[in-house]
Amino acid sequence: MSDEGQKNNQDGGMVEEPLDLVRLSLDENIYVKLKGDRELYGKLHAYDQHLNMVLGNVEETVTLREIDEETYEEIVKKEKRKMEMLFVRGDAVILISPPVRI
Amino acid sequence: MATLMEPFIDILTNDGRNIVGTLRGFDQLVNIILEESHERVYSSDGVERLHLGLCIIRGDNVAVVGLLDLDLDKRIDFSTLKGEPLKPVVH
Amino acid sequence: MSRISHNGQLFFSFFKSLVGKEIIVELKSDLCIKGTLHSVDQYLNIKLKDISVVDSEKFPHMISVQNCFIRGSVVRYVQLPSAEVDIQLLQDSARVEARELKKK
Repeated sequence: MSDEGQKNNQDGGMVEEPLDLVRLSLDENIYVKLKGDRELYGKLHAYDQHLNMVLGNVEETVTLREIDEETYEEIVKKEKRKMEMLFVRGDAVILISPPVRI
Repeated sequence: MATLMEPFIDILTNDGRNIVGTLRGFDQLVNIILEESHERVYSSDGVERLHLGLCIIRGDNVAVVGLLDLDLDKRIDFSTLKGEPLKPVVH
Repeated sequence: MSRISHNGQLFFSFFKSLVGKEIIVELKSDLCIKGTLHSVDQYLNIKLKDISVVDSEKFPHMISVQNCFIRGSVVRYVQLPSAEVDIQLLQDSARVEARELKKK
């Protein structure tokens, strides 16, 4: 890594490790996939090395899968709820997706 | 003999059990020693009490520890209290 | 949260700043416990006062409990009072924390 690269990284230009990408998503709307078929959309206000996070204006989607007893078809239900400010424990996080930039 | 000094506590374990007893000891790992303890099994036809006596609960399996208010607890008729079993903790 | 640097303990400091405020802790067993934040430790274990279980009709288990300890590792979410959160300070603290983590 060049000196210039290191310098850039200090104030947020370059990405050299995964957490840099998370840092660049601060104050942006992100998508988080969690264990247990849970997904979140919300504005990232804070995170740490464990991927604990605080998100604002969060929408959670829980996907429930049931098997219809007669037809054996899988019924997929999605439950949504909104929360103003949410702390998310990092151990349930599978992936974080930063906003799409133009 | 449960005295004022020895708190009566209510534990929810990771597998969804509810164990109640007198706290006789604990450590930093939240391992817990209970005396005169019993499990409360919730269902749609009242709460069943299962006697456990003296037991040690490993901290890993402890989700919640509550301080039980004995006066409040004595006023509850558990034979008619209906409740669903708790789901287990899924990590 | 008065200072911006938190020595790798950002959320520990953050929760300390919310002591006395009402929060809802959602466990990985789907149980939601509402109460006043009494204290927090470095593992993000939480002590609550004046608790009530959300949906206590279904889950009357904690009916005679007012104060409780929740193990940090069984927490899924904590719903926070957004009016009590200084968003700017929180984001700045997260940036400082990220920079300090890189130095190590």
